[in-house]
This record gives sequence, structure tokens and C-alpha cells, in this order.
Amino acid sequence: MISAGIDAGSRAIKVALYDSERGMIASGVHDQGVEQATLALRLFERTLVEGGVRRDDVRQVVATGYGRSLISIADTTVTEITCHAAGVRHGVPDAATVIDIGGQDSKVVWIGSNGKVRDFEMNDRCAAGTGRFLEMVASRLGVRLEDLGEMAGRSLQAAVISSMCAVFAETEIVGLLASGVRPEDIVAGVQASIARRIGGMVGRGVAAPVVFTGGVAMVPGMEAALAEVLGCEVRIAPQPQMTGALGAAILAAGRASE
Amino acid sequence: MLQHCHAYAVQAKRDGRKVVGILCEFTPRELILAAGGVPVCLCGGSAKTIPAAEQELPANLCPLIKSTYGYCVQKSNPFLEMADLVIAETTCDGKKKMYELMGRTRPVHVLELPQKVEDADAAEHWYREIQKLKGELERRFGVEITECKLREAIRLMNRERGLRRQLAEVMKCDSPAITGRELITLKSSISGIPADLEQYEKAIARYGTAANGVDDTRLASGAAKRSHARVLLTGVPMAHGAERVLEIIEQNGGLVVAMENCTGLKPILEDVDETAADPLRAIAEKYLHLPCSVMTPNRRRMESIRGLAGEYRVDCVIELIWQACLTYDVEARRVREVVEQELGLPYLRIETDYSPSDSARIATRVEALFETVRGRRA
Repeated sequence: MISAGIDAGSRAIKVALYDSERGMIASGVHDQGVEQATLALRLFERTLVEGGVRRDDVRQVVATGYGRSLISIADTTVTEITCHAAGVRHGVPDAATVIDIGGQDSKVVWIGSNGKVRDFEMNDRCAAGTGRFLEMVASRLGVRLEDLGEMAGRSLQAAVISSMCAVFAETEIVGLLASGVRPEDIVAGVQASIARRIGGMVGRGVAAPVVFTGGVAMVPGMEAALAEVLGCEVRIAPQPQMTGALGAAILAAGRASE
Repeated sequence: MLQHCHAYAVQAKRDGRKVVGILCEFTPRELILAAGGVPVCLCGGSAKTIPAAEQELPANLCPLIKSTYGYCVQKSNPFLEMADLVIAETTCDGKKKMYELMGRTRPVHVLELPQKVEDADAAEHWYREIQKLKGELERRFGVEITECKLREAIRLMNRERGLRRQLAEVMKCDSPAITGRELITLKSSISGIPADLEQYEKAIARYGTAANGVDDTRLASGAAKRSHARVLLTGVPMAHGAERVLEIIEQNGGLVVAMENCTGLKPILEDVDETAADPLRAIAEKYLHLPCSVMTPNRRRMESIRGLAGEYRVDCVIELIWQACLTYDVEARRVREVVEQELGLPYLRIETDYSPSDSARIATRVEALFETVRGRRA
């Protein structure tokens, strides 16, 4: 049986097709835009073609992400918190803590021994410690997002970024650059500051294994910065950007078989 | 019921009665009623008045304080404009200092609230504050607050609290006839209006009967389903106009069956002893027991949360914190422990202000909480 998950995130839309026997059979990603319902529909159709699946064969569609309620082709919606937990459990069945850092959200989800969400924390109004923050840094330093990890690796001494606010941190970075601090040290400092922010959300409640999901997990070096703050190993989920969509598709399969 | 309030206050003024603004549940309405006054709540719940307040107040201050003060600056709260006296109190620092600014243009009397509530001195000090308020009202309004009038006011307020309690208890059944949002709409801003008491009685008769299983097609629109997660809402008060989080909760699969806050059950759980030899002392005693987060330690609030969670058979507890409300925010740590460790229930803390910019994010967190609740049931 085939089901689909659509994760309408703040920066990208993700679609996953899931076969209850074969696992994830196709996936697609597209940048988020103004016409997100149309973008999601097109991406869904493209992913169907890629997976060689007919629309009628998809038994159930679950939408998640901040734009979930706008996805008219979805049969139902589930929050990204529950979807990330389901997606992570698929790849790492004993996962106990999920750290998801997306475009504008960062969240920590604790999974109980029954495999269900036990508790969660989520950032509120501010974008500190999210992908948007890293994008701002890359653009300010004139480098590509994917090069940040390699840069941080060359840092000899991470700069101290004390501001948690993306706007004030930008001012701080401008000041650091002006005083001659090397860009690689700034990048390492920014990664450490995001990790500290997440560390604050985790509090004393870190339970291993810790699995890292969301688009920011694809930025090299972030998992090392997190591991340093949390004091334990941090595993990157397979295809971390797809975790929410995959979780949605798995939950859709569960609903279809009810 | 809010609709009566304005007309009632206007008529009362015409009849020569005094309108007295109150900003806190520690202020004993009995004394105001016994002085022939009309006690009206002035707490601001509108985002619209905040920019005016921020010209004088810091931005990083609780929105309730800013909104209240914004009304004062803009002269846009008709009740404040009618008020012959505003009774303030030293609860949190933000309010206390705001009252000084308000006092430049309005007559303000400040009650000094002791905060080590379990000390014997606290009760004595608070009693003297209540005595001073009695003197102030008598002098200012040229009246005498007799023992007879005081006892009459106590009976009236006990009756009002009793009716509001009964109405709140409608939410105890499996599928109540009304939602938490509808319940809060039934609450009046002025105490002691006979028409309001009648409305409470009618509402109890109507929704209370429905709750007992009688099919009534005239039921309120929001009649809840059994599938809803039953929520105990705790934390800061939701002044009229600031019910956004309550609405988000009920639009996303929850039903707020009990509100342990100052706009809900907190001030009406205890009555004033009608048989006490000294009615003034009895009033002081009841009000000092209010489990506000400014009290230290604030054991009564934890007892109240434990009790309400059981009585209303809640599935989870949501705590609302207004941005920069330090006492509720810090106390949230203790509430979380009680809820998660003692009651074994999921707990969610929502910190926000009056601007709707984070509504989608709050909805996600609330929905995820209810998914967790359903996951536990399954």
C-alpha cells in the first residue's frame, strides 16, 4: 500500500511517497513560495512520476509543516512534532531524542519507550538557532550555505557570538569582521551559538540516542557543535530534510490501514 | 453580560453612585459595594492601546499592564473615565510602578499586599490595609460602611461567587454544552448587578441541564465533543479581549474545562465567612488566600491545580504566561513539576503577548500536545 506525506515547511516543501513494504520509494524538495498550495501540488505530481506511482494508488495523504492547512490534497494534517518523531523512529527505532532545526523553527522532541511523543520544546517568536540564522550568516560572509561546515573546520578559535537574536547577531558579526576576526572563526562561533541555544531547550533532559533532523542537519559541522554542547553522540537522520514528510507518509499509512 | 455593564455604570453614576475601578482580584469588592460603589474591572486586554502606553512604559513589560495604561493615556476606557477612584495594589512590580504614573491623572489608592502569605504578620498587615481602605472609601465618598451593609455585601458577593462556581461546574461533564470560550463570555466586568446574577442562574439552568444528558437544541454553538482533549488552563489572567490563546486551544482539538487563573476559578473558589464576628477580618482572610504567583511560597496554587485536575478530569495542563510576567514565568517551573511528576499529565507552557504574530506557532504546539494526549489514550 502506498501513502504520501507533504511537509510544507517555512523554507522548502518536501514530499515523500511511502510503500508499506518497500519503505520510501520517492521524494522531492522544492523551495517554498507564495503560491504554496500550487507548488506543493506540482511537487507531489512530479514525485508521483519519479516513483512510477499513479495518483489513485496513493491511499492516504497527510500534510505537516507550518503550511499544512493549505494543502488541499491532504486527507488530514498532523503537526511536524509528531511527524518528525514517526520519521525518526522509522530509521532509528530506539531514538529517544529528536532535534529538528528547520528554516524558522527549532524543536526538541522526546520519544517515550512506547515510541510516541513524550514531550517537546519549540522556539517561540524568534528565529535564533534556526536555518534562517545560518542563511543570514552565509550571506553576510558572502559564502554558500553548504560551505559553512568546511569553513568552520578551518577555525582555530571560535569567535564568541553572544546575541541570540538573528538581527542583533548580524550587527555583532559586522563588528567582528570590522575588528579583523577571521570568517571561519565567526562561522564556528555561530554554529556553537546555535548549538547552545538548542542545548538550552534540551536542558537536562538529553536521552540517547539523539537524532538530528531538518534542513540544518545537512550543514556540515552542526552535528559536531551539538554533540559538543550536549555531551553525547548526535546522529544525523538519513535524508534529514525529508524526515517530516516521511513521518507524515508513515502516519498516513497507519491511518489507511485502520 | 459585558453589554449590560456600560449602561449599568452610566445609570449608577446618574443615580449618584460612585464607580470604583479595580485591577486585581485581591481588591475586596465587598467594601466597594458596602460603600454604595460600583466595582468595575479595568484590566486591559487590547493590543490597540499598547503603542500609546509604550511611549512612556518599557516595551519589555507585561501586555496587560501596557494595555491598561494605554487606555488611561488615550482616555479610551469608558469605565476608567467614569471612575471616582481606582484601587491599586502592590502585586507585581510592573503594576505597582505603573499605578504611580496612573496616579498623576486619576485618584488612586494603593493596597499594600504582603507576600509571605503564611506568616502571621501577613494576615495582620493585610487586615490593617483593608481597614485603611474602608476609611478611605468612607472619607472620599462621605458614607459610613456599617456592619450591616458589610454583611449584606458579603452575602451578595458569596452568592455571585457561588453562581459562577456552579456555572463553571457545567464543564465537569463528559460533553459540556458550552466551551471555555463561551463560559468566559458569560462573565461580567462589574460585580453585584442583579441582572447578571439572574443571567448566571438562567445559564446554569440551561447548560447545567444539558450537561445532565437532556437534549437541548438551543445549545450553544460550540458544544464540545468527547474526542476533545480536556484542558486545565493556568497562569496569567485573560482580560476581556485577550482570549486569543483560549480560542487557539479550542479551535485545535482542545476544550478548556477549567481555568485556574484570575479570570477563571482562582478568585471564586473560596467565600467570605458570613458568620464571622468581625466581617472585615473575614474579608481580609478570604482575599489573602488568593494563590497569586507574587506570594511566596505559593503552595495554595499547587493544591488548587492538583484539585482541579482531578475534579475536572483533565488530560493535560496548559500554562499561559504573558511576556515579562516574571512571577508566573518563574513559578511555571514548579507547576510543570507538579503536573508532570505528581499528576503524570502532559504540560505545555505558552509565553506570548497580545499581538497575533505567533498564533500559527502556538497552534502547532497546542495541536502537538493534543496528538500526544491521543497517543497516550491509544
